[in-house]
Amino acid sequence: MLEIARFEGRHRVRGTAIVTAALGGFSLMYVVLFPTFAESLGTDIDELLAAYPEALQKAFGIQTLSTMEGFLASELYTFFWMLVIGLYFAYSAAGLIAADVEREQMDMLLALPVSRARVVLEKFASLAVPLLALTVVVPVVVYAGTVAVDYPVDPVSLFVLHALSVPYLLTFAGVGLVASVVFDRTSVAQRASLGLLTGLFFAESLLTDTDYEVVGVVSPSRYLDPNAVLIDGEYAFLDAAVLVVAAVALVGLAVVLFRRKDIA
Amino acid sequence: MRLAGVPPKFSLYLYFAGRRTGGMAAIEVDGLTKDYGEVLANDDLSFEVAEGEVFGYLGPNGAGKTTTIRTLMGFQSPTAGAATVLGHDVTDEGDLIAAKRRVGFLPSNPSFDEQVTGREILDLHASIKGDERREELLSVFDPPLDRKIRAYSTGNVQKLGLVQAFMHDPDLVVMDEPTSGLDPLMQREFNEFVDREKAEGLTVFLSSHVLSEVRRVCDRVGVLRKGRLVTTERIEDLLDRTGKFVRVRVAGDADPGAFAIDGAHDVVCSTTDGGGGDADSVDTPDSTDSDGPVSECTFTFTGDVNDLVARLGDHDVVDLDVEEAPLEEVFMRFYGETDA
Repeated sequence: MLEIARFEGRHRVRGTAIVTAALGGFSLMYVVLFPTFAESLGTDIDELLAAYPEALQKAFGIQTLSTMEGFLASELYTFFWMLVIGLYFAYSAAGLIAADVEREQMDMLLALPVSRARVVLEKFASLAVPLLALTVVVPVVVYAGTVAVDYPVDPVSLFVLHALSVPYLLTFAGVGLVASVVFDRTSVAQRASLGLLTGLFFAESLLTDTDYEVVGVVSPSRYLDPNAVLIDGEYAFLDAAVLVVAAVALVGLAVVLFRRKDIA
Repeated sequence: MRLAGVPPKFSLYLYFAGRRTGGMAAIEVDGLTKDYGEVLANDDLSFEVAEGEVFGYLGPNGAGKTTTIRTLMGFQSPTAGAATVLGHDVTDEGDLIAAKRRVGFLPSNPSFDEQVTGREILDLHASIKGDERREELLSVFDPPLDRKIRAYSTGNVQKLGLVQAFMHDPDLVVMDEPTSGLDPLMQREFNEFVDREKAEGLTVFLSSHVLSEVRRVCDRVGVLRKGRLVTTERIEDLLDRTGKFVRVRVAGDADPGAFAIDGAHDVVCSTTDGGGGDADSVDTPDSTDSDGPVSECTFTFTGDVNDLVARLGDHDVVDLDVEEAPLEEVFMRFYGETDA
């Protein structure tokens, strides 16, 4: 068991190292930047912020920029972690099946005595490499950075935020996986999943407090709130459970669809 | 033997009964149909491949050969009909997985992950299906294992494909156009290899659109055309009917009547008088040596070779060329249409 996952996972190591280093460096930059930012503007920044339309603040998930927690929650986590890294997982997952079908490599894999369910599940499992690396390295870098610049954040909240974001990222990957099974061309699968998820992400934040708020229910971003976790220490485990169910359902759907598919 | 409508328990009985007597078919195709909507790729195909047989699945490009192979391997499901591989139903995934442990497969255009080395590919395959024959095979087919696939030539990819297809010592090997990427030397090596495997009892199902490339290794062939099976017969019978393609140049003025013997078809002659005026004479400078006109006649010959030799004795033969008739000729002769 897990031969395919190991094979695929090994080839994710290099890409993972690059993404992890990039995001680690990026996080560190934010952390190091904060003291200068806070000391030059002080609490004025929040007053400045109040001048902006509320919808815009909501769209970018900004609650406060005057504390390290608020700064990281809005600048680093809401945008980079939830959107960019989320899309990275969807993008990677969108290539899992479609790329093999497109390059005619799927035949070789399916000629082996393995079930199609196993192929889908093991390929999906190979995403554990970047998921684990990012989930372990980024919070350590962020925490160490905040301590170093003397604005330490609560390490428990920080690690909980990363733990809660695991099902969130898996849901993004699940959407990419379904697209990868449905479409035979990687580029189409990637565009479809990235388009859908980006749309849902902004729909959820822009439609909050409007009559169309209900649309946001299907957006994964509804179920993870870095501000609540980092600033208020509120851990929405039920929301995380919703994401777990969604991720499992998406992977299950991909398995069902792939089992019925005629490989082109 | 039709297994499609037989209850599972009974087909299991047939399976074991077949094994006991050794008479089980390695592949059984019954009424297999695959309709892609815009094209009927396989139309009600039925045939059997016996254990230990090398079966050539022939037909021009686009005839539907790959469609059948993909259905047999479970990559797609048939629109209608049934098929078994080593006694296992190809539409039942779990059942077919059991068969795949004993089946080797080489696709028409083998494609591997470009970023990894040949060795990593073989290691992956070995971890799933075994590799008791890897080293032995690598002494026959020797792709550069430590190089990444992206640096492989077409021939090396084909060699790697052959090694993975045979490395777990399968009972049946399914190959789609196995000789297409091989140079003539490798092709001969491949033929000899298949001969040796056949002697060991291996069953082979291979497709080709070039009869001459596979005629030496096949016991029996099925000829597919526009999705329909036009004939299934022993290779000798097909070759006898196919005949030879003869090109003969004789001194003097010859007309098609000169070769009107039993078994000569479509005789065409043209005469060049060695003095120009005919474009052909430019390419045949030696025709002037004979100091007179030279006639070139071409025809397909399916008769007794002795008759041909006797008739040739009546002429002053300048040049003679006898070769295997191309598969396309067979279609034209026996099925009345070309595939051009």
